[in-house]
Amino acid sequence: MSFEKEGFVPNPILAGLIGICPLVVAAKSFAEGAAYGLGATLCALLLGLLIPPARDFLPDRLQAPASLAISAALALIYALCLGMYSPALAAGLGIYLPLLAVSGLSLVALRLSSFPSRSGPDGQSRLAVIAMQSAWFLVTSACVGAAREILGLGMLTIPTPGASLSRIAVADFSPLRILVSPAGGFILLGFLVALYRVTLRASGRKGL
Amino acid sequence: MSYLGIVLTSIFASNALLAYGFGSMPERERKGSASLASALALACVNVVASTLLWLIHCLVLAPLRLVSLDILFFALIAVPLIKFIARMAQQGAIKQGSLLFRLGEKSDDLAVGSLVYGIALLSARSGYSLPEAVAASAASGLGYWLSQFLLEAVRERLELSDVPAPFRGAPAMLLSAGLMALAFMGIDVTFVKNLVGV
Repeated sequence: MSFEKEGFVPNPILAGLIGICPLVVAAKSFAEGAAYGLGATLCALLLGLLIPPARDFLPDRLQAPASLAISAALALIYALCLGMYSPALAAGLGIYLPLLAVSGLSLVALRLSSFPSRSGPDGQSRLAVIAMQSAWFLVTSACVGAAREILGLGMLTIPTPGASLSRIAVADFSPLRILVSPAGGFILLGFLVALYRVTLRASGRKGL
Repeated sequence: MSYLGIVLTSIFASNALLAYGFGSMPERERKGSASLASALALACVNVVASTLLWLIHCLVLAPLRLVSLDILFFALIAVPLIKFIARMAQQGAIKQGSLLFRLGEKSDDLAVGSLVYGIALLSARSGYSLPEAVAASAASGLGYWLSQFLLEAVRERLELSDVPAPFRGAPAMLLSAGLMALAFMGIDVTFVKNLVGV
């Protein structure tokens, strides 16, 4: 990855398919996609901040299980907070909220945080790499959720606080209802990755 | 539901990869992930993880009304135990290429990831008894292996086909996974219930 060229910025999530499989099932609507992406982003960023100092006072044998426990605790705290903000949204995401602890993004953050130096394997700042990947994950997750909901159900769910979510009707019919199912999620993501590659080539980049 | 129904549902209708998105696509895995050692390792790791999580969930956390903490206990107890068993299997193997060594190696890789966590959480939270949870988790592991096996076969065919450049690799695999998920959706819970009885 490189920040040198301006213009089109590579999306490591679509290029590397990081944490993409749970995403295609969990992000059924804009609200769920945004909530899942935000959870993964916060977990990854906090792991990037917390793990390196924790490594200093933990013995080598305990570092891996402790890192995983911290990741699980962060996912749990996010799940509880989301449950308080919007019980309907937390219920919709269900089992995927605790699984944020082992999402692809969290595992990347854990792996990057395990490097002894402050920079990652390619010399960039560790936190900068995690922040960029997290930001792309959040954007991708929200966009996939919105696309699936608009094309699949003809509506858009807004992540408002409270017992129920507010929905905006975009169309009075369901153009591609299959997109709401996991199968539709895989198919939509396949087209998105292909579109990303076309855009990447048009901008003169070869990929990551 | 009968044990046969639980097994069929876990393999097809609730397939770990195609219905829940646990694990990763074959594009991201080493070739040969659909081997016998992979299938056995998946089943073993899932059974150990699900049994542990079921015991923690039902015998410790549920009476204390702390079921939402199951993921934390899983990370603290189950993952180190799986890794320990995997390393013991590797050390106990007679030679490096033996089935036991490969089992240990693959189990060690699998211990941390959404696949084992997800299947264990589903088994513990779905209200199954312990034998049912064990059957469901082993079948889920085999279902994941089946989808990987089929997708690897599709990938081999795709490598020989004239696929448009932007769709080569991951996009073609995602589209194939979507079509396969559609086929698996046909074998839903109602169909299984009608087939094998409640």
